[in-house]
Amino acid sequence: MPVDTKQYDELAKRYGFAPLPESVTRLTQLVAQQDANLDEIAAVIQGDPSLTARFLRVANPHATCEAEYTVDTVEQAIMRNGIGGALILAMGTPLALALQKAFQTMLSLKLDKFPAHQLVGVNGEHMRGSIGFAGKVSGHVYLRMTLPSARTVAAGIFGCKPEEMNNTDEIRDAIGELLNIMTGNFKSNLCDSGLDCKLEPPQVGITDDYSTPIEPGGGIERIAFRSGNIHPFVEVTANPWNG
Amino acid sequence: MAFKILSVDDSRTIRLIVGKAFKPYECDMLEATNGEEGLAVAEREKPDLIILDVTMPVMDGVTMLTKLKADEALKAIPVIMLTAESGRENVLHIARLGVRDYLVKPFKDDQLIEKAGRVIALQKRAVAA
Repeated sequence: MPVDTKQYDELAKRYGFAPLPESVTRLTQLVAQQDANLDEIAAVIQGDPSLTARFLRVANPHATCEAEYTVDTVEQAIMRNGIGGALILAMGTPLALALQKAFQTMLSLKLDKFPAHQLVGVNGEHMRGSIGFAGKVSGHVYLRMTLPSARTVAAGIFGCKPEEMNNTDEIRDAIGELLNIMTGNFKSNLCDSGLDCKLEPPQVGITDDYSTPIEPGGGIERIAFRSGNIHPFVEVTANPWNG
Repeated sequence: MAFKILSVDDSRTIRLIVGKAFKPYECDMLEATNGEEGLAVAEREKPDLIILDVTMPVMDGVTMLTKLKADEALKAIPVIMLTAESGRENVLHIARLGVRDYLVKPFKDDQLIEKAGRVIALQKRAVAA
């Protein structure tokens, strides 16, 4: 059944939904068409300074600052990252916005993004949550944070002190719910753009493995965050045209 | 009169948050971890309001809502969806099935209370002397 946009817009207004940035919705829609027009994709990315900055950063993986960029235009970056890279870029935005909103609403904490290359040196046991998605696009979303961060986050959600948060199952459940919230928002954007997919149940556990298996034929986007001593980071790896 | 509110969510975290949100009000909280359990509790307890998630194991929220609305004895129970999913197709389908409101996670307690307050006349609990 075709989606009635007008009716949806009325419902979204009535229910008080917060829309995604127009650039993200448009970029996902464009890239979802396998014969996407590169000029249109470039124009959408260039129209959003935040998307442009992230896309150029991904195209210059070894640079530690903009002065070191060897790829410095969006067009060059599309040639380097491919259209799939643009889709993964678009996928990262709903994840990041949902995590930031979850921290703001559930924990009253402001979560800032910071350069992913600063993650170098992160090691040791940490909590890792992952959710797979499969359909016209397939891949995984990962959410990682240190054990003290996970304890602090769970305590904030449950309204208690971190030192009172000793039940690992409760911490896992809280991190799993954060992951659910992120990926639910993310999935909605994909499905609205014609990339129907289903989410698998979240898996949350403690690990010392920081490696992330990249989806065969796909790419990866890493987004790092900071709020005081809490340093969560998110990875999305996807094969954009699975179906 | 204490209203019966049924929270159907596979996440204990969300059920706890929902329970805490309604704690200051004259409510009896009921819980279920999936749609199947939710239907069973709804049949047994006839709650005044159901707060329903979408993605759950065993039976998802859309299936539970469909069955609820097909049941003469249960179809009048108002439902507020509480989910991270706001995809167009899902929202339209759920709206057609008949829900009173829709709240996208993450949410603030007062948003939930405001939406619930439009459906049932929530009263603050009397403070113990």
